[in-house]
Amino acid sequence: MMAAALRGVLCARAAAGLRAGRASAAAPPGARAASEMSKDMLPGPYPRTPEERAAAAKKYNMRVEDYQPYPDDGFGYGDYPMLPNKSQHERDPWYQWDQPDMRHNWGEPMHWDFDMYIRSRVDTSPTVVPWHTMRNHFLIFLSTMLIMFGLGEIYPSYRPVGPKQYPFNDLYLERGGDPNKEPPVVTHYEI
Amino acid sequence: MAPGPPPESAAKRYRPNAYVSLPTELDPDTYDASPEKRRAEAERLAIRARLKRQYQLQLNNPNPPAVIENPALLRWVYARTQNVYPNFRPTPKTSFLGAVWAIGPILFWMAVFKADRDRKEKLIKEGKYKRPFSVC
Repeated sequence: MMAAALRGVLCARAAAGLRAGRASAAAPPGARAASEMSKDMLPGPYPRTPEERAAAAKKYNMRVEDYQPYPDDGFGYGDYPMLPNKSQHERDPWYQWDQPDMRHNWGEPMHWDFDMYIRSRVDTSPTVVPWHTMRNHFLIFLSTMLIMFGLGEIYPSYRPVGPKQYPFNDLYLERGGDPNKEPPVVTHYEI
Repeated sequence: MAPGPPPESAAKRYRPNAYVSLPTELDPDTYDASPEKRRAEAERLAIRARLKRQYQLQLNNPNPPAVIENPALLRWVYARTQNVYPNFRPTPKTSFLGAVWAIGPILFWMAVFKADRDRKEKLIKEGKYKRPFSVC
């Protein structure tokens, strides 16, 4: 009884010691490595005053007039700039970009959906046919096909069929009929 | 043969939309070359040139760093991962959208499965449903 109590105390103390050691070695929540950028170079909350806007524009390497943050709707954008929704397909292919495959220069502010607008994904280049024309044509075609398929399901229409007719008196011998007996006569026609 | 109205030009049909850009010939933003616009373009070019110079200095450094960090990339990553929750605020719009995307599918599939099960139960009770596995 006493040994069990002592064992419990020892184990509890050891466990508490381990937990304290781990807590002191771990970083407090929200800490970042010192090799990362300083807090003022990272994105922050929505800018409220004109000074904050100017500082944010300078941080993102943009002109103050060009800098337009996302509206403060609580969606989590912070002070990140709202750039025009144009994909990397539209950028000049002949300019000497720092990163030619991404068509992106070092330090240039990246679109929030940059990974969507890369050259293997969404393309917002102007289309040969106006977009509304394309949309109308597509919807007309799709709805026509769906309506016709639906009508075909509701009112099916096939060629008339009858039961299959087999020769040799309904395959009398193949079905194991006695070859010595006279097979029953089967006629598939009516005269 | 009476002439009809002239055919509508393609330019009118090409309206601005949210999915593709207008061609440069139809985009009014590419038309004006006012001095203000040219000054703005010159300022943007100056910023671009300074950034290029910074990058090229690091790139052609005889003792280059192991990785040339792109602060724009780091800011983009930080903004999309760690800066979202601190700037999130429960508003009517965010609450509504959160409910639609989080609770909506659960309720929808609950309704679908319940309806399907009830239909099957009704068919079994009426004897119309062919059981795929034997029960005896």
